[in-house]
Amino acid sequence: MDGIDILIVGAGPAGLGAAIRAKQVAKEAGREISVAVIDKAPAPGNHVLSGAAFEPAVLDDLLPGWRDVRHSFTDTMVPVEREDMMFLRSKSANRIPEKILPARMHHTGDVIISATRMTQFLAEQADKLGVEIYHGYTARTLVVEDGAVKGVRLAEVGLRADGSPKGNHIAAEEIRAAVTILADGVNGVVSRQFSSQFGDGANPQVLSLGMKAIVQFPEASPFGNNRVMHTLGYPMTPSTFGGGFLYSLGEKTVAVGLILGLDWKYGDLNPQREFETFRAHPYISRLLKGGITVATGAKTIPEGGIASIGALSAPGGMIVGDGAGFVNMEKIKGLHYAIRSGMGAAETAVAALGENGAVGPLDAYREKLEAAGVLKDMRHARNYRQVFAKGGLFVGTPLSLVSAAIPKQLGIHRDGAATKKGARLDRPDPGRMDGATFVALTGTIHREDEPSHITIKDPATCVSCEADFANSCTHFCPGQVYRWDGAKIVLSPSNCLHCMTCTVKCPALNIDWVPPEGGEGPHYKQL
Amino acid sequence: MEAAGSRVPLGAAKFVIAACARPAPVGAMHCIVLVKQVPDVSNIPEDAWDREKGTLRRGLLDSVLNPLDLHALTFAKRITAGDPDAKTVYLTMGPPQARDVLIDCLSRAGGEAVLLTDRAMGGADTVATAYSLALAIRRIETELFGGDRNYVIVSGMQSVDGDTAQVPPQLAEDLDIDQIAYAQDVHTEPELKFRRIGAAGTEDVVPKVFPVLVTVTACTDTLYAGFAAARTARSATIHTWSAADVGATADKVGIKGSRTTVYRIFSPSEDRAKQCVMVSDAADLMKQVQAKYRLATGGPAAHEEGAYHLDGKEPTYKGELWILAEREGDGIKSVSLELLGKTRELAAFLGEKVGVVLPCDVAGDLPAELIAHGADVVYAIEHPLLATFSPIPFKTAVAALVNERHPQVMLFGATPMGRELAPRIAYACDSGLTADCTKLEIGDHIKGGNALVGILKQTRPALGGNIMATIMTKDSPTQMATVRPGVFKIPPRDESRTGEIVRITPDLPTDLVEAEVTPVESFVSKVNIRDAKIIVSGGHGIRTRTDFDRLLQPLAESLGDLLGDGAKVAASRHAVEDGYRTHDYQVGQTGQTVAPKLYVAIGISGAVQHVSGMQMSDTVVAINKDPRARIFNYADFGIVGDLETVVPQLTRAAQEAK
Repeated sequence: MDGIDILIVGAGPAGLGAAIRAKQVAKEAGREISVAVIDKAPAPGNHVLSGAAFEPAVLDDLLPGWRDVRHSFTDTMVPVEREDMMFLRSKSANRIPEKILPARMHHTGDVIISATRMTQFLAEQADKLGVEIYHGYTARTLVVEDGAVKGVRLAEVGLRADGSPKGNHIAAEEIRAAVTILADGVNGVVSRQFSSQFGDGANPQVLSLGMKAIVQFPEASPFGNNRVMHTLGYPMTPSTFGGGFLYSLGEKTVAVGLILGLDWKYGDLNPQREFETFRAHPYISRLLKGGITVATGAKTIPEGGIASIGALSAPGGMIVGDGAGFVNMEKIKGLHYAIRSGMGAAETAVAALGENGAVGPLDAYREKLEAAGVLKDMRHARNYRQVFAKGGLFVGTPLSLVSAAIPKQLGIHRDGAATKKGARLDRPDPGRMDGATFVALTGTIHREDEPSHITIKDPATCVSCEADFANSCTHFCPGQVYRWDGAKIVLSPSNCLHCMTCTVKCPALNIDWVPPEGGEGPHYKQL
Repeated sequence: MEAAGSRVPLGAAKFVIAACARPAPVGAMHCIVLVKQVPDVSNIPEDAWDREKGTLRRGLLDSVLNPLDLHALTFAKRITAGDPDAKTVYLTMGPPQARDVLIDCLSRAGGEAVLLTDRAMGGADTVATAYSLALAIRRIETELFGGDRNYVIVSGMQSVDGDTAQVPPQLAEDLDIDQIAYAQDVHTEPELKFRRIGAAGTEDVVPKVFPVLVTVTACTDTLYAGFAAARTARSATIHTWSAADVGATADKVGIKGSRTTVYRIFSPSEDRAKQCVMVSDAADLMKQVQAKYRLATGGPAAHEEGAYHLDGKEPTYKGELWILAEREGDGIKSVSLELLGKTRELAAFLGEKVGVVLPCDVAGDLPAELIAHGADVVYAIEHPLLATFSPIPFKTAVAALVNERHPQVMLFGATPMGRELAPRIAYACDSGLTADCTKLEIGDHIKGGNALVGILKQTRPALGGNIMATIMTKDSPTQMATVRPGVFKIPPRDESRTGEIVRITPDLPTDLVEAEVTPVESFVSKVNIRDAKIIVSGGHGIRTRTDFDRLLQPLAESLGDLLGDGAKVAASRHAVEDGYRTHDYQVGQTGQTVAPKLYVAIGISGAVQHVSGMQMSDTVVAINKDPRARIFNYADFGIVGDLETVVPQLTRAAQEAK
């Protein structure tokens, strides 16, 4: 087989957007280039999760006529016709008038989609264009030689839990390409290596954790169709950034979720319990009455904004999507930026590909992002998340309306540092779906007899964490991976949801996470 | 790249293999690996269940390579490893998208592939599938191996959708070749030798005639698809052949060629729903369990199927109802007697006689024993070649008798012998076969305009045990089925019964070349959980081997003390996989079927594979962290809670209650 011209790490919206665009641009120029995409998930979309209220114009540009293609993605997509912003207190709910909300937060023209299904759709389109897509391959290390990105090295496979090789062991394979586009998602391991090597953002990246469920109804849901609802307030305390959402995915399906900024201060905050507390609110539970949860998922969102984004390109490499940090917090949107960034990187890559594997500079990528309006939106939102981090809900909310006008770039602390010693939420168990069931409904599976992809760097550090932070990993992990046995943390790594919370949220930065061997993790089908 | 098949009119092409003994093989040993694309039943999304209809929406399941086929291809790689001339061909019969599993195989182990695909082949049962695959194999031998008969056909033992394990032996029957089942290991030096699990223990088998068919258990570290190999596989050769390309006749493929048909699919929980009383206090639970235990009648719970009445209707089938009796030591295997009891009951509904086929070298007292247990006729087939079990002589002798006498029903125990033999007999008798039945009934069925009267309705789990299917035989002279040991009760012995003994000396070929078989290690199961009156069983919910021992053993002992009966610890398949116990202790579809007076399921989810192995227990107590665990549908009492807390509480309560 010939070498690879463009290697894309990650088959999510950004990666597949890049793959499709690369093939299109090459074809327009009358060239044949090889585009290969790898992804650690077992099948397209399995590790993709989002709300999502989506701005579809980007697909009109990328795949004209896409709305007419019959696919579970287009079949389950619904236009937004009604939107509400609610403020919740423990028993009450009040509508926030639309007029108060800035235009950016309105969802006119949006469609509600399943990001998982969109990914499956994009994979099919990419395959038709001749993109090589390989699922079940985990990239662990960026390969850099003489200051240039050469490709990635995969995880080795076929090891026992004790690290000894089994009969089917394959040493870590290297994949080299003329251009490598890193699309490995929020807190992606290879993207972070890229940033460390070629330039981090001025601010650390900060995340929010989204907990989500798909609820199905035997008859039309009480929530109704074509509707988006966002909530503020309960169950979050004023110091916790976040909000809830309900999105219609048809007459009988509702996506419900709760997003929490990882800079919460409580050592014992359990996001899955918070999610159930949210669902138990009288107003919310009425809207979901009669429904059955058929699927769940959890994943983080990069929220630091443009100040957390570092170098975008280097010789031989570019970063795109959530891995780069293109989420606009004012709109709480990242999907269409992910695709746009992928398209920009692809156009840059194809233009830079010369004869005999020579590659020109990739700096033009930044101009592409500028031209697509991505950087403009990111600049406008540059202090949005920051004002909430600094001021909490009651100061942040009014400030957020004018955050674009703040003249300087505000800093932000890393999420794990925000947990306060002794701070406890003491949330009572709402007695609804338990954590084990939540994990079961994500479909997550890992080989049991493999080395743990999660490591506690220094177990001694965890001892003081008990009193200070209630061993917060035992609470904050939506996969129930961490258990305190009285003296040390015990791991169930096969529960892991690859949500990327733990390395960031541990107050002592005491957790190491690498992606496990390929083909494992959640099996999201319609999230 | 795909090589299109040549245009051959249906029925005209013939790829014939002559079945005869050959000298020891020289040169490369090729492999044909049989693979199948199946639904991924290991990961069923919640919305794939149609709770109203009680079925599974198969379209919502991912398609994957059958898990045992991964072992087959890894096993085949061991056979061909180190020989650059040895060819490997992956063969699958399926719709066009089955191509994906061939690419998967090629990515893992290289080689070539054949996709046998034709709309006419859709809906095939095992008989029609075996027929079609056999034709493809003949063409592979002629075209891809150049007529070289030095090859091994490697197959996983069964596929997770049908779970019958019938296609490989039926394929072997069609090709008239020998089969080596339950293979666990293979050596190629100094000669090709397979280690397999036989009826009495492990044995080494050196085949002397080729080709030979080998079915493998989950015995390997399955090969991964390296990235470079996956890229190369995209340009590997995949031949696409239609029914015409392999010379198939239309009436023998697909639905037309099938001898069984599924007529009902339902959810397993319909089958045996219990009303679970949820308890939170351990002492209270112990009291209730004790009370119920004292009332229990003991032994497997009686079947509650209703009687069937012909009421003067003309039954669709005529003739005796037969079972195949298996010998064990000097006596008859329990499962044969269990089947005899059930067949007595079924035959009585139809007013027909019960026949027992006993292949042996010398029948001795056994016919009398069988008559005392309910046989009306015993067909003692006596021949020196039938002294110990070997598929081909046994199949030849029994099939000849069946083809001569036309029983309307033939039942076999789903034992290692039964699973190898029954499919070959069924194929040789042109009859449908349903494997691993958990229920057998006589009933009527209206299909289209036709009324079927007094037919055998055969119910069994499928799709990895996630659904139950009821099956009828069609277009067959005899309705055949296999049944697992422990499903039916051994009938009481009645010395006064009389019956006929028919002695038969079969015509068996004297020049059969046997494989060289060397016993390695015999296993008399030291562990017999089937006899225990009390079983404490642990599952995946238990985190470590240490926990398994320290939680379950004391509970078993204290329950045994309290209730005055022997108690044993057992395990679910997950727990065996986790290494908490060996396979002897496994309860479930791929383990043992047990029916104790008390079954305590700890940290067991209640997947039907497990439940089918214990649902005949008198009293079931379930302990699980998940209140929605399916096990509670099969339990009389349940506690939801953390195992580490609840189980010691129960042990203490049992000790204090004494």
